[in-house]
Amino acid sequence: MDRPINRILVYVDGTEASITAAQYAICLARAYQAELAALYVVNTRALNELLKARIFIQAEEQEYKRDLDEDANRYLNHVRSLARKKGLALETISASGNVHQEIKDCIRERDIDLLVIGELSHVRSRRDEFYDEAERAMRSVSCSVLVVKDEERVWQLYDSLS
Amino acid sequence: MALLELISPEVVKVPLQSRTKQEIIRELVELLRDAGRITEVQPVYDAIIARESMGSTGLESGIAVPHAKTRAVRKLTMALGVSPEGVDFQAIDGKPSKLFFLLLAPPDQSGPHIQALAEIARITKSPSFCSAVVHAPSAQGIVELFSEG
Repeated sequence: MDRPINRILVYVDGTEASITAAQYAICLARAYQAELAALYVVNTRALNELLKARIFIQAEEQEYKRDLDEDANRYLNHVRSLARKKGLALETISASGNVHQEIKDCIRERDIDLLVIGELSHVRSRRDEFYDEAERAMRSVSCSVLVVKDEERVWQLYDSLS
Repeated sequence: MALLELISPEVVKVPLQSRTKQEIIRELVELLRDAGRITEVQPVYDAIIARESMGSTGLESGIAVPHAKTRAVRKLTMALGVSPEGVDFQAIDGKPSKLFFLLLAPPDQSGPHIQALAEIARITKSPSFCSAVVHAPSAQGIVELFSEG
């Protein structure tokens, strides 16, 4: 019988919840001997929307794009380092565009069988449900999705990995 | 980042008393100080004014989104105000601005800053929602509108 999980993708957006998700994904990858990749998506769609709405001026849009590119590197390096500390190889993927669509495409292209995401925000309105990118990805991707909760337990699990 | 997480009655003011762009910005910044979100008004005011000097954030349909990166906040922070009569904010359509979203973000939180601004941009596309906010009777009423939105 095939292993239930062969290729895991964790979506990292820089939030603490997404870093916790990465730690849990590392634990899972070790337990299932699965391949692990981490994806950060620079939300250029939002930047374009802000420019179009004239909330941003051109120079500001470029400045924020640079900031987000740096965030992508920083957070992916951090997650790679977390994996390395536990003796695990982790592929980092940086993409840009429409966040939930990039997640969906990445899953399809790499034949991912489990998407791991951080805990979703507690305070919600109907509008938030519609526009939250992780939530939209959760609804639209073709593979199973695991929403990671209980930061303290995850940290203990991660910490106890030899 | 859900916009609703940034809004509470303490950071919503209706009606705003000011009659000029500079006064509106100061009134909203002072609201954040009074709510304990920031400690000093002047550096925040200066950061917003510096951004406005590059181009007004007065949009169409009576909405303005003054914003800035500043080390005066440690997390994304917002104030919301309504001026029912409207104020000249040098908006792109030349009309008075009535609904103000003032957003502050620390320099290292561009991601959440952009998410919040993008959500505001989407809200501005709903004239009925914006009208409901402008005509809300109280700060609590505005918070409830966002909860229902």
